[in-house]
Amino acid sequence: MRFNAIALAPPHTRMPLLLLAALAIGCGTVRHPALENARDLYQKARQDPVVVRHAATALDRAGQALEEADRLWAREKDVTEVEHLAYIVAKRVEIARVTAQRRLAADEIRQIRSARP
Amino acid sequence: MIRIYDVVRRIPRRQRTRCWTWVLSGTIGLSGCSMSKPPTDTLAKAELGVSAARDARADELSPVDLKIAREKLEKAKQAMAAKRYDDARRLAESSQVDAELAEAKSEAEIVRRAADDVQRRADALPTEAERESRKPLTAVPNQE
Repeated sequence: MRFNAIALAPPHTRMPLLLLAALAIGCGTVRHPALENARDLYQKARQDPVVVRHAATALDRAGQALEEADRLWAREKDVTEVEHLAYIVAKRVEIARVTAQRRLAADEIRQIRSARP
Repeated sequence: MIRIYDVVRRIPRRQRTRCWTWVLSGTIGLSGCSMSKPPTDTLAKAELGVSAARDARADELSPVDLKIAREKLEKAKQAMAAKRYDDARRLAESSQVDAELAEAKSEAEIVRRAADDVQRRADALPTEAERESRKPLTAVPNQE
């Protein structure tokens, strides 16, 4: 459809329309490596039962940041902003992991105390 | 006084269409860009985050993350002063998350050490079974 429209357009308007079409096509397909890396980190944490059990809220925040990055990448292709959000996602996943470790250690203390009053 | 319409009318029709197409394409293409406001709240949050991390002993327990958070907060303030508001916001958001990580790491380390400590003390105390097994040994000499 888009190409037909360009072919039908008067010759002197084709150049700007072609550029706009190229922009629109480019927007649909490109994946950003930093964003994909962030998604990978998030999905690994999602599959870790310790993190899911002990740091669900922190993990949700990482997920929200990832959704925001995805939306922005789909809509605007703003590389600087998406790289920034990918960094936020990675850090939020790390926060979830560390929080899970803290809760695990707190559980250990409770168990030792209940075993030996 | 020259009116815009007079100028436009002097351009040949063909070139006029081309001009309008460029203007329209340019407007659509650039519509993603927007003016940004000073990120005062974000900067304040980052500052609070760094304080919270410091209070959680991050200087001692997670120095690298806290250092990164502090450096970014400084850069955010510089960007703010230079009216580079998008840079300032990104740096402040980034600093805040680094500070939160420093705080989380410090808290985790404090609880980890406490757990190890509790475990050590529990190991040092004799268990119920151990106390039971020692009774006859201390009781035997008294009986003889």
